[in-house]
Amino acid sequence: MSLFSTWRSLRKRGVMGINRRNSDYVLRYNPRHLFPLVDDKITTKMRAIEAGIHVPPLIGIIDSEKQIGQFDQLVANHRDFVIKPAQGAGGDGITVIADRFEGYYRTTSGRLMSSEEIEFQLSGILSGIYSLGGHRDRALIEYRVKPDPVFSAISYEGVPDIRIIVLQGYPVLAMLRLPTRQSNGKANLHQGAIGVGVDLATGITLDGTWHNKKIQKHPDTVNPVRGVQLPYWDGFISLATRCYELTGLGYLGVDMVLDKDMGPLMLELNARPGLNIQIANDVGLAARCKVVEKEIERLNKAGVTTASPEQRLAFCQREFATLTESFSQNTAESAS
Amino acid sequence: MKGVKLHVKVIALLLAVFGAASVAWQIFAQNIPVSAEITEPVWVIDTRISFSPRENMPVKIKQYLPPSWSRFITLDESFIARNYGVNVDTQGNNRVALWSARRTSGNQELFYRLMLTQRSNTRLSSEEPGPVFRDSPQLSGVEAVAVDALLKPIREHSADIETFIREAIKLINDNSNDNARLLLGNNYSEQSRAAVLERLLSSAHIPVEQVHTLRLSDTAQQTPELWMRSYNGQRWLYFNPQTGAQGLPEDRIVWWTGNDPMIQVDGVRNLKVQISSRQRIVNSIELTQSLSESRGMSGWSMAMYSLPLQTQQTFNFVLMIPVGVLLILLLRNIVGLQTLGTFTPVLIGLAFHETGVIWGVLFFTVISCLGLALRSYLEHLHLQLLSRLSTVLTFVVIMMALISVLGHQLGMKHSLSIGLFPMVILTMSIERLSIAWEERGGLHSMKLGLGTLVAATLAHLMMSYSPWVYFIFTFPGTLLVLMAIMLALGHYRGYRLTELFRFKAMAN
Repeated sequence: MSLFSTWRSLRKRGVMGINRRNSDYVLRYNPRHLFPLVDDKITTKMRAIEAGIHVPPLIGIIDSEKQIGQFDQLVANHRDFVIKPAQGAGGDGITVIADRFEGYYRTTSGRLMSSEEIEFQLSGILSGIYSLGGHRDRALIEYRVKPDPVFSAISYEGVPDIRIIVLQGYPVLAMLRLPTRQSNGKANLHQGAIGVGVDLATGITLDGTWHNKKIQKHPDTVNPVRGVQLPYWDGFISLATRCYELTGLGYLGVDMVLDKDMGPLMLELNARPGLNIQIANDVGLAARCKVVEKEIERLNKAGVTTASPEQRLAFCQREFATLTESFSQNTAESAS
Repeated sequence: MKGVKLHVKVIALLLAVFGAASVAWQIFAQNIPVSAEITEPVWVIDTRISFSPRENMPVKIKQYLPPSWSRFITLDESFIARNYGVNVDTQGNNRVALWSARRTSGNQELFYRLMLTQRSNTRLSSEEPGPVFRDSPQLSGVEAVAVDALLKPIREHSADIETFIREAIKLINDNSNDNARLLLGNNYSEQSRAAVLERLLSSAHIPVEQVHTLRLSDTAQQTPELWMRSYNGQRWLYFNPQTGAQGLPEDRIVWWTGNDPMIQVDGVRNLKVQISSRQRIVNSIELTQSLSESRGMSGWSMAMYSLPLQTQQTFNFVLMIPVGVLLILLLRNIVGLQTLGTFTPVLIGLAFHETGVIWGVLFFTVISCLGLALRSYLEHLHLQLLSRLSTVLTFVVIMMALISVLGHQLGMKHSLSIGLFPMVILTMSIERLSIAWEERGGLHSMKLGLGTLVAATLAHLMMSYSPWVYFIFTFPGTLLVLMAIMLALGHYRGYRLTELFRFKAMAN
């Protein structure tokens, strides 16, 4: 297929490119002064707690060299925990401690880390090697999420997470991210995790994407990724919808996890969410955003300036129900 | 949003128009050449006057000079003589130089040099002065009869002044015509024919005068050529008194008018005059530069050239940076190439200016690889960021020094220029490469490094392409056009080239 026809066909399907995302959505809907809110995970967490949104409980914050020395006392009561740079991007610099062994910390991949190694990691975080602008950062120590066994058939190690893109409070696309052997248990598509599309109306998984390709099976477990009902789907999607009121950011990627004990938890927010979610759902993001923008315009004309989260959710679940569409298509095809 | 887009479009358009207009003004109104390669001929006319003075007599020499309203622009005029005073004056339509010395001995030589460009001087040539009216000569006796006899057929054969003069020239040059012979009085020299022609025509109330012209050609020795001219009320008509041809050829300049010889002397013998002209090819931009200095052209027409030389060299460099930046913008936003840092490739490309592309790429690769090796070793030492960066930076400097010394001893002169590599940029590149390696794997960091090198090489090639360097330095208005492009690209929302591959799975 020639590049030009690829272009035309992508355009026709409403696939969003980086340039379009940056100028038409990020720049337009996300005021710069609100960025620190999502760029700093600690601030996001505090805001979420205030708003009554469930997040993984905070164990402690380390923001000075002196506190690094007190790290052992800080986590004394926890066998497992997660260390994150507050301003890290794309899952970089995250250490997940699953257990302890003879004064060592054991990571999820089985590596043993001494206290010194952890302290070095912490000082690296503080000096800003993982932060976006390279400036000083804080380290965040929080509860380690225990994945719900519902994903074990289609997941390899690590914690799968759910990403929902929300435009002006309207959820437009959802994706389940599953760690693979290649991604070292991290749910990051860049690092080799797979993304699986999710039907907004029902929470049932669709086909997936891995390294920009469309896939039907998990590369490690070889189980098909399609047709899995995500539990608590209504909880996830309404949580994502409410994040618009939480931050005021009009174009937002909400990352959530399902904890075995605590249910849906909001992990972090992203003001520049990635675009591979489109391949996972096989749907153009710009096309869906346009539907939402039209609806907002219609409501504005009707004099409704703020639709309630429930109204927005209902609109999206009605408009973007992929499965029923294809079911009806299938039945239409079989009928003819 | 729509308003903003229109705003940007208007500003970009304004910038582009303004920039293009300034370039056009420089090219078309100020005649500034568009390329440094363009050359044009310049004529150098040397007049050498040699003579021996008489004992104890002051020397006075009057020499006619070409007028200032010549069709060609005078670049330079110089008078060279030892112990002579020179005064330039105007006499009627002519310009005159007066050389004088009170006491001289031995053979004397005076030099007069004139440099002319072939650029047409339309503005000045229109200032050519009109005729000076003189009384018609009173003729009597035989001469009056001969003149009347000659004028009769001329009147019959002619329709206007032009044809009248040409007919007269034809008759004067007809040696079988008795009347003409009588007027010439057995003197068939050019001078005498011209004098007779002048007399004949003034009897018919058509004033003509002699003009002495010089042919611009590569000749070592030439004598001024005699032409006649007449004023028709609007402009001068030139005639060749030998052939009757009308119109001064393009390669002639008027030197002086009137019946006098070019040089009139006092207190001098053995006078010899030698006129030579030769063509010299000069660079147009240098010519324009010296012209703008000597003629006081607008200071903005060659703004960058008015800076001190050292600063000019700096700006030769600096003005090209936007070109590199625009390239990076295109590569990143339109192509989708990934590079280390935003403008790092531009800075590395600038360093390539000294090392050349091949050596530059080699140095960059070698130093990055060594730096990465050191960086991965330092990783085990659990150093803090700043001290690790400082260590890598110092290591980079040591490596650069080492390569320079080794290269110098092996006789590779390229290795010396490595000192100009931006070491801080290199260090940061190493750090970023290393983090990319850790977080995203070796393949990704290789991709980044390669992308950076490709971008740096392209940026270097574009920033050092000498026709462009010349163009932007001479026509800085181009930068406004570049800015317009950058602004317009700020609202480019189409796919990047690499995205067509990224989303290929979705296109069907």
